[in-house]
Amino acid sequence: MHRGKGMKFVGDSRVPDNKKPNIPKDYSEFPGNTEAFWPNFLLKEWLVGAVFLIGFLCLTIAHPAPLERLADPTDSGYIPLPDWYFLFLYQLLKYEYASGQLTVIGAVIIPGLAFGALLLAPWLDTGPERRASKRPIATSLMVLGVLATVYLTWESVESHNWEEAEAQGEMLDEEEMEAAESVDMEAAGYEIYSEQGCIGCHGDQLQGSGAAGPPIFDVPYEPDDVADIAVNGIGEMPAGQFEGSDEDLQTLAEFISSGGNPEEGGGEEEESEE
Amino acid sequence: MSEKKHNVSRRQFLTYTLTGVGGFMAAGVILPMARFAVDPVLKAGAESDMYAVAEVADLTEEPQRFDFSYEQVDAWYQSEVTETAWIYREGDNIVALSPTCTHLGCTVNWDANEDYPDQFFCPCHFGRFEKDGTNIAGTPPTEPLHKYVTEVRDGTVYLGTAEPQI
Amino acid sequence: MLQRVYDWVDDRLDITPMWRDIADHEVPEHVNPAHHFSAFVYCFGGLTFFITVIQILSGMFLTMYYVPDIVNAYESVRYLQGEVAFGVIVRGMHHWGASLVIVMMFLHTLRVFFTGSYKKPRELNWVVGVLIFFVMLGLGFTGYLLPWDMKAYFATVVGLEIAESVPVVGELTKTLLAGDPEIIGAQTLTRFFAIHVFFLPGALLGLLAAHFIMIRKQGISGPL
Repeated sequence: MHRGKGMKFVGDSRVPDNKKPNIPKDYSEFPGNTEAFWPNFLLKEWLVGAVFLIGFLCLTIAHPAPLERLADPTDSGYIPLPDWYFLFLYQLLKYEYASGQLTVIGAVIIPGLAFGALLLAPWLDTGPERRASKRPIATSLMVLGVLATVYLTWESVESHNWEEAEAQGEMLDEEEMEAAESVDMEAAGYEIYSEQGCIGCHGDQLQGSGAAGPPIFDVPYEPDDVADIAVNGIGEMPAGQFEGSDEDLQTLAEFISSGGNPEEGGGEEEESEE
Repeated sequence: MSEKKHNVSRRQFLTYTLTGVGGFMAAGVILPMARFAVDPVLKAGAESDMYAVAEVADLTEEPQRFDFSYEQVDAWYQSEVTETAWIYREGDNIVALSPTCTHLGCTVNWDANEDYPDQFFCPCHFGRFEKDGTNIAGTPPTEPLHKYVTEVRDGTVYLGTAEPQI
Repeated sequence: MLQRVYDWVDDRLDITPMWRDIADHEVPEHVNPAHHFSAFVYCFGGLTFFITVIQILSGMFLTMYYVPDIVNAYESVRYLQGEVAFGVIVRGMHHWGASLVIVMMFLHTLRVFFTGSYKKPRELNWVVGVLIFFVMLGLGFTGYLLPWDMKAYFATVVGLEIAESVPVVGELTKTLLAGDPEIIGAQTLTRFFAIHVFFLPGALLGLLAAHFIMIRKQGISGPL
């Protein structure tokens, strides 16, 4: 564009009078066959983009974004895990030399050095050579960094118990939800349930709380079995949880084996009304 | 179309194809989102429920005020909403009028102004309505009060939605 | 007709050079996969941008239903995913796009590094690119909390603990991010929402603009 004294104005505006003719410029900057960006090259790029988009949409349809149950800050049994691209950092902090007293190393120094070096790469590697094979130090450091990141991520994925975590985060399905909703919180059994501390692990609607205790609104036990479990424990549930009168124990057992609805007398039947 | 225009240059052809592919990508990205956004418009209106409001025995020839409330589900938010109806008997007919003034949505009252007995009166802009809800000429409202869909079952009056009388 | 409208605007604003600068250049052979298939590595930057556009659009649409509040956030996400037509797809696009954008950006970074394209005179563009990388990681971190489910909550607890372990400024940073020195709750969610939806995207758009302007200004790096 002409600037300065040679510039022609349209009226009183500063828009130059002369127009660029609409013909592609000549590019001879680089050797070999060049191709016009618009429309030739862009068409190819967009074809790739379109194929990519189709694949992407298929992915979103085939795998809906996961959603676990509502966050429950009191659930101490949950195994937390960051999103996958932070796993390398998460894993790094598990190692002895990078945790405990030395957390600073894992949380600040190592990532700081790595990302700092990445940011300042142009000034750390100032030689004129561009080929990866001709600048061995930069290349090997980068390869090392990538391998370390991949390795740490892999280790973290390996050591995580995916099945257990999934079970912990799982949402109650609709039937369970309804069963949990229908728990009679006015019942005498419920009062005993909360007083005896059952509520701490099995939740306020018998829905369980992840790792600490399973849902118990649909247990396959008779009241006598429930009473036995409450006193003697079962599986991971320790013995001696119940401390009260036999009468209370009986009420509690009936309350639980009925799915939280002692009067209606059945945890097997879901209430479909409402 | 002239003969000339059939000769599409390579550049033009590529440009058309490019526009097509670009359009496809834009559509692929935008369409799901657009459908997502306009969902409230396309969602079929839920069948409105009828709510028990009053006993037939309590009704008189004189409009009486009845409040009724129901659970309103607003997407993820559920709340109790209270509505009001002016209900009276007219022979065997039961008429239930909405108290929402058809002018600007204030709440009308029966027989509330000494100057205009036996009329619905709106305190905002002095709109007035006859007993059957007809708006009185010369006052701001331009249409009668809306009328609830009514139903009587076992001596109880059930109300549905308020619909325009015209 | 269109031509006349174009000419009318062009007379006044001289818009031809703007699009000519973008559209009217030649693509050299060494970055064209049609000539050397190995040149497909030059596509990663473009794909990163494409997914970024998808992220911005799907994010805009998601906020039509989402509420950043610990009581309603989870319910609103469940509603938009379960009840709204195409909710699964729109949230899926945002969720999977977040992962893909990181993958593509990682590959793009490696390509630029191993072809030595960050060398003089393109140092500044590399720095801007790495900053974009950081912003993207920040977007991933803050976005993860928003659905307020178990995974989101506990991932954030861990993330904030890492931030807290930084000496001197750690506790300050954590309080600033969480909105409270002790609780990770209502204020954390609104803060993360603001950062995820306004602050970081604002920074991202600025950096992207700088990234692209510099590419046009300096041209693509030559063949090896």
